[in-house]
Amino acid sequence: MRNFCKLGISTCLAALSAASLHAAELGATNEPIKLAINEWTGQQITTRIAGQMLEAAGYKVEYITAGYQNMWQAVAEGQLDAALEVWGSNVTDQYRQLNAEGKVEDLGELGLVAREGIAYPPHVAELCPGLPDWEALRECAMTFATADTIPAGRLVDYPGDWGTPGADRIKALDLPYKPIPAGSEGALVAEFRASAERKTPLIAVFWQPHWAIAAYDLKFVDLPEGTQECYDDPAYGPNKDVTGDCDFIPTRVFKAVWPGLKDKWPAAYEILKNLSLSTEQQQPLMGAVDVDGKPTEAVTTEWVRANTDIWQPIVDAATK
Amino acid sequence: MTDISASGSVAATGGKDGTGRTGMNGMTPGVRIAFLCVLVGAICLALSPYQAWIRTWPAALTLPATEWIGAGLTTLFEFLKPAARSLARLLEYPMAGANRLLVGSPYALTIGVFTALGWHIGGIRMAALALAGLGFVLASGYWIASMNTLGLVFVSVPLALIVGGLIGVLAHEICSLRRAIETVLDIMQTVPTFAYLTPLLLLFGFGPVVGLIASVIYAAPPMARNVLLGLKRVEPDIREAAIMNGATRSQQLLLVEIPSAGRQIMVGVNQTIMAALSMVIIAAVIGGFNDIGWEVLLTMRKAAFGQSLIAGVVIVIFAILADRMSSALARDGKRHSWKVTASILLAAVVIALFQNSALPAAQDFAAFKSAAAVIDRSLGAFIAANGVILDGVKNGTMFFVLLPLRIGLEKAVLPFTWGFQWTTGISIAVFSIATVAAIVLALRNHAVAGLSLLIATGILVTGITNLPWPFVLVALGGLGWLAGGTKLSVFAVSMTGAILSIGLWEPALLSIYLCTASVLICVAVGGAIGAGCAVSENAWRVMRPVCDFLQTIPLFVFLIPVLMFFQIGEFSAFLAICAYAIVPMIRYTHHGLTSTPDELIEAAVASGASEWQVMREVRIPYSAPTILLGLNQTILYAFSMLVIAALIGTTDLGQQIYLALGQGDVGLGVAAGASMAILALVADRLIQGFAARQRHALGL
Repeated sequence: MRNFCKLGISTCLAALSAASLHAAELGATNEPIKLAINEWTGQQITTRIAGQMLEAAGYKVEYITAGYQNMWQAVAEGQLDAALEVWGSNVTDQYRQLNAEGKVEDLGELGLVAREGIAYPPHVAELCPGLPDWEALRECAMTFATADTIPAGRLVDYPGDWGTPGADRIKALDLPYKPIPAGSEGALVAEFRASAERKTPLIAVFWQPHWAIAAYDLKFVDLPEGTQECYDDPAYGPNKDVTGDCDFIPTRVFKAVWPGLKDKWPAAYEILKNLSLSTEQQQPLMGAVDVDGKPTEAVTTEWVRANTDIWQPIVDAATK
Repeated sequence: MTDISASGSVAATGGKDGTGRTGMNGMTPGVRIAFLCVLVGAICLALSPYQAWIRTWPAALTLPATEWIGAGLTTLFEFLKPAARSLARLLEYPMAGANRLLVGSPYALTIGVFTALGWHIGGIRMAALALAGLGFVLASGYWIASMNTLGLVFVSVPLALIVGGLIGVLAHEICSLRRAIETVLDIMQTVPTFAYLTPLLLLFGFGPVVGLIASVIYAAPPMARNVLLGLKRVEPDIREAAIMNGATRSQQLLLVEIPSAGRQIMVGVNQTIMAALSMVIIAAVIGGFNDIGWEVLLTMRKAAFGQSLIAGVVIVIFAILADRMSSALARDGKRHSWKVTASILLAAVVIALFQNSALPAAQDFAAFKSAAAVIDRSLGAFIAANGVILDGVKNGTMFFVLLPLRIGLEKAVLPFTWGFQWTTGISIAVFSIATVAAIVLALRNHAVAGLSLLIATGILVTGITNLPWPFVLVALGGLGWLAGGTKLSVFAVSMTGAILSIGLWEPALLSIYLCTASVLICVAVGGAIGAGCAVSENAWRVMRPVCDFLQTIPLFVFLIPVLMFFQIGEFSAFLAICAYAIVPMIRYTHHGLTSTPDELIEAAVASGASEWQVMREVRIPYSAPTILLGLNQTILYAFSMLVIAALIGTTDLGQQIYLALGQGDVGLGVAAGASMAILALVADRLIQGFAARQRHALGL
């Protein structure tokens, strides 16, 4: 956790210093800027905060609900102007393709320090002593075995359309586990809930920031440190024959916009480019929405009112 | 809720003539086909250890069809895009209008108008239903999202009715096109909607218009089918009277035939409304506007069962209101007093005027928050208390039913599942016993049963996903020939062959396995429940609303408790499919068994048959065609549920469609969707063929 704090604050500061460079034209203020609202709370918080910053700068903003996986064609065509929290770990090939063709612009990192890993609820440590060390998983395989996976252990992986990071780790680390694709985020959360209620064994690929980390007090398995070398050089890591025999490399969380945004709303482009939100800033807001059940609009409006000192400089730098 | 006689079923085709059928003695066609299947199966089993191509279709022969389809469609879309985009812009006007009307009107006024309408067409009961239903929607806090949804339905239903109606009239007027149109309707209903969402997105651009078009595609066929059926059934006398009076063709159609087909057409209207509503949640996957389907998706993502159940119930309420109101309109019964209607409207206007100052805003209602929390807590407590039992159920079914079906007894029987290891010796013993039994049956004049027993043994030992493809093709071809002659046989083989050649065979076999397993259970359990309801009126009174509920609640909602009980995996997918696909089996069994003509039953009773004998000798044979249609619907339902079950992590065709949707891969989406439709259509045609034979044999 210490690492994240440092990183989060430094990106925030970097963003602030970048923001104070130059001001830009407002552009077409009579037309609303269309921001994509995706399916998860964190993204909605980020977007609502960004939207209120744009409104403070004098823009009209329209929030449009959009399926995360299906929205890229719309961003490329300007039917959606910006998607403000895109996770590198589960963004689709369609995005990469459109980005390579110059039809969707990558606007840089958001500032969230995301971590992916193999997670487990705390009671699992009693069922498999030796956790969080990853070597313990080898002996415990039968503890995690189920009807579908016997004699291998069961590891719940990401939904199939997000890729198969769990399967890749298992293969590279040569662990006796069978990855089961989760199908959806709801299915992953339901697994954690059921495991917590029933005190049954469970390991699953998961990520933070996510409200379930706090709600179920999830822990991550300590895999060999994930570095770029590990993914480039087979000799690195415990398995000398393959790459990727280590923990996940931190996921890049970034902002993506319609390329025409820059000319149509120059100042908005600057604001969104310098928009930054750290894990520490987002996490309590997520808790207020998902655990306490408050509406996203109210939670973000409250935050924007209380934290003028954080966002006002970015807006001022772009407009004044 | 759904009208059985015309529930958007895939039209009956197939076997019309007896294809060179000999008597029941000697080598009947059935025996020959069964024998051929046994032979091919045995050869494949014997050869497969040495010849890998028998089990897996050679990669060299796989056509890169998904790439071709993708490239072809993308080029085509570039060409069609300008026209499609203008259409989309055009459709935005009525949608924005309907939306503004429904979201903008004070809720008191909307509820009042629906209550007044309910009173007018159905008296106090319907008015109370509308008031209570919409009251629940308002109290749940989903009013605005619901009105967004309703706005979409208000535009999509008339569009679907117009499109469907025109298709139906066209099919009726031009006989040579009828078969082609019926096939197109089948395709519109069997290709999973998820499969064409990506192409629609590319064509029409992002937004609710895509959902609108998708729901028109899905909801138009029931209208078309019912219009066609209604026009076909117009009495010849009426038709002739119109001709004798010198009416032109269009006068005949508009002034005489369509009005006299009115009742059947109203059934189509009802079915179309229901289909459009059931699409709501699927369209929400794309987003574009904040509708009730999106709310269900959000709660589903948090695995918040209580809240998603409430959002789901809101959709059920709309479905029930739409169903009851439109079928009340279809029955042209007496209309109720205008005075009461007017006073309800007046009261609504008065309340609406004071709404802003006296009542809370629509989005401030949240009456069921605590109820949702209670549901969630009790679900958790139930799981914690019964975990061991739930696990026992799951493991038992997995070990003894699902795994053997999927990978065969030879791989599923292991020391830590069954307590012993399956060996080649056991295989030989099992096959020998089955062969002896088959010979005994053949000698007793049940050759088909004997050979089928052998085939079933082979499938159970090998497992569905390991079936050699030559065997599957031969078996389907043979079944097709039996059910509907050469044409159906060629259809079954060539269509299934297409799946093989585009490289989707493996997921297709997994789909077949999941469907087979769930359909078997649905037939056994659903058939029993249906029969029970046929015997006891009270049982039906309990089951009917349960069936309605299962058919209209968005299926996503069920995934959460199923997952909490049984975790991610095949068993959960299997249960979710069963929960949905069992409904037609119950309905049709009940309908078939209760619609036996009274004369038949009286005749049997008069000749001294006991109740059980009446059931076995009269009711069951008489209702066999209806029950077969129920089976047909169960299979189609199971296939349509596969895509949703992909959200619990299956790996079959449903998952391929979902992957394609996520990746924006037009080619894979269309290919997998087409494969799914092929499997459903082949199963449909085979069963329709056998049902037609059975009806023929009964002289119906």
